[in-house]
Amino acid sequence: MNTLLRFIQKYQFLLFFLLLEGISIWLLASNNYYQRSKVSSVTRAFHGFTSEKIAKGTQYFKLRQINEQLAGENLELRRQLAKNSAATLKYEFSQASENADMDFEFVGARIINNSVNKQNNFLTINAGKNKGIELEMGVVTNTGVVGIVSGVSEHYATVISLLNVDFRISAKLERTGYFGSLYWDGNNYKQAILSEIPQHVSIMKGDTIVTSGFSSIFPSDIPLGTVESFDKKAGNFYTIRFNLINDFKQLDYVWIVTNLHKDERETLENPSVND
Amino acid sequence: MIRDSLKYIGYFVLLIVLQVFVLNNVQYSGYINPMIYLLFILILPFEIKGLFLLVVAFLTGLTVDLFMNTLGMHTSATVVMAFTRPYVISFLSRRTDLDFKGKVIMGVTGVQWYVKYTIILVFVHHIFLFYFELFSFNHFFLTLLRVLLSTFFSSIVILTAQYFTVKKK
Repeated sequence: MNTLLRFIQKYQFLLFFLLLEGISIWLLASNNYYQRSKVSSVTRAFHGFTSEKIAKGTQYFKLRQINEQLAGENLELRRQLAKNSAATLKYEFSQASENADMDFEFVGARIINNSVNKQNNFLTINAGKNKGIELEMGVVTNTGVVGIVSGVSEHYATVISLLNVDFRISAKLERTGYFGSLYWDGNNYKQAILSEIPQHVSIMKGDTIVTSGFSSIFPSDIPLGTVESFDKKAGNFYTIRFNLINDFKQLDYVWIVTNLHKDERETLENPSVND
Repeated sequence: MIRDSLKYIGYFVLLIVLQVFVLNNVQYSGYINPMIYLLFILILPFEIKGLFLLVVAFLTGLTVDLFMNTLGMHTSATVVMAFTRPYVISFLSRRTDLDFKGKVIMGVTGVQWYVKYTIILVFVHHIFLFYFELFSFNHFFLTLLRVLLSTFFSSIVILTAQYFTVKKK
């Protein structure tokens, strides 16, 4: 106490100055609009700064909730997208397979497993017996053939990818109508081969290749790709290398093709099977 | 003693009246507003007690503020000025000057001493006055220019008034 008093006595001039100066500044800050607004803008800035920091801190605890919310939103958007592309695809296919008199129906599914880097690539889709999927149904997108169903379980199906060296379908040149056999040579996942095109056929780079519709698996005239190069090494036939329209690395939604009259057609074409 | 006090009160009233009714109406281009009331703080006697000096300065500034509707602005600047006054005096005075007594006026201290004394204290006052008015350091150099110009004119007005007071005596 004594030291405090001595301290006050020693610095009384300075302390009294600080007191009076404090009073003056308080008067200044509380009675003049301009200075008051300056002071309050400083305190407001401080308040804003601290509350922003606090908000940033608490945001971390909300991240989980926000994630769930966003995931839900994504799901909903995907659902809508699927609906839309289903409509578009059905329209396009109904145009393309006009000649087939709407023999085909389509079931939508998502690819849940995919590979492009092996010689025998398979995909898995999230539709199975529950959606009427059966063996040897075609799998397509609106920009090309994906593959053929090779195995079915209750909720899933495996698909032999077009990018499988064992995969073969019939395809044709759209411009001239000549058909050949389509396969993948196992090299480049962006290119496939169309072989057995007779040598007299005129081919130009950029010609479109489409499905032929000769099998009961795929509708006709689904676009597959455009001619990149061709040569006649293999005897009397051209071997055409063409660019696939589908990017197999980006596939997501696909459509499984159901041929409504498959049995009828097969019975007609192979009468010996029933005998 | 009482006569001295009355004399100081007379100075106080006179300087405030001059300040409020004459000089506050003289504002060249918004930069220059001479402060003659500071003379009152300058002429307070050498022997005045520190605390009393501060109180007088506080009241002086407060009075001016009340007339100018700038509560706190002149008060704070004048209190700072009064706080520095003893240090300025001891800084300017040589050993032989320590027997200064009575009013701090030119006749006692000499012209050169008084000019330095006035300019330093007015400058201190004006720095605080103008920066408190702005309440920020934006436009720092523009404000400094205003401080310097106003210091110059205030000092001239104060020294002139001081000179005539001496003459009258």
